[in-house]
Amino acid sequence: MAAVAAAVAPTRMEFLKLKQRVSLAQRGHDLLREKMDALVIEFFEVLRNIGKARAGALKQLSLAHQAISVCSAVMGTIETRQASREAKRELEVEISTRYVMGIVVPTLEVERVERDALARGYSLHTTSSLLDEASKEFEKALGLLVKLAELEESARAIARELERTKRRVNALEYILIPRLKAALKFIEMRLDEMERENFSRLKRIKAMLEAMA
Amino acid sequence: MNADRVLKFELSRLNVHLPERRISLKEALESTKPQVATRDGSIHRFKREELDLLAKTVPEAGWEKLYLPILIALDPKLGRGAARITGGAEAKVVGQILGKKSMGEELLIYRPEVAVVRRKLPTTTQYFFVPR
Repeated sequence: MAAVAAAVAPTRMEFLKLKQRVSLAQRGHDLLREKMDALVIEFFEVLRNIGKARAGALKQLSLAHQAISVCSAVMGTIETRQASREAKRELEVEISTRYVMGIVVPTLEVERVERDALARGYSLHTTSSLLDEASKEFEKALGLLVKLAELEESARAIARELERTKRRVNALEYILIPRLKAALKFIEMRLDEMERENFSRLKRIKAMLEAMA
Repeated sequence: MNADRVLKFELSRLNVHLPERRISLKEALESTKPQVATRDGSIHRFKREELDLLAKTVPEAGWEKLYLPILIALDPKLGRGAARITGGAEAKVVGQILGKKSMGEELLIYRPEVAVVRRKLPTTTQYFFVPR
């Protein structure tokens, strides 16, 4: 209370100003808490999707590695590596953004990850059809990895915003609003005290005047 | 006073992700790139699968009445976690998705239901924070 007393002037003007500040802080606190709740919903939803996407991507990668192992065994390691060097490596990814309560969350859209054998770029005469199978499995895995990357980046962005919002809500709830309310209470008490002082002063003057008369 | 400035800034940017103008489901379905411009000047795109889901849920006559994105209004007055969907077509479609009956122009939903709606329609719904 002593710190509050030093910081505020006990006037009616200050009292009204503080009342407005409490109302603003309360409103901000309520809205930011709603935002925090909504962010928690989004965060858990993204986490759930990440779990599924990661499991799917790992399964697909395992299939792809199995396929490339078989291909290497049949075609030979050097030939498989040579074919991989010849393969086209471009992938068109459209990166846009979506907003989750003001947070920029990336959206990655891939037109076509899976290509036909001719579009891959390696020679079809010198390679086995097993390489086509392995390439197909890797392309499927790539599509899943792009999706996983989108989700992981979304989770990171939402977590950052959640942390920031939680800090603001806690600062309002435990520091700003209690301080403002304490200052408000101090001014109220001081104004009451001043009123009582005035009243007793008037009574005293009245008694003195009556004694003189 | 600095805290007030920070707070005012936070409140001012709560709804910047909302669109300048909402578009009808019909417009979105007809467009090659279904999207809306947001208040902060960025672009919010709708996923085609979601539009198709909405097109299946809403009869064709209602495509012009359903405006996107559907706003999930979070109002502190309603209590923590409660949300309101306004607009006849919007309330009806969200009600259908949740298996809930909408009463007229408004539908009240609660936190677990908000999560379901956001899961099914992540780009065609948006949060709207109602200032008092």
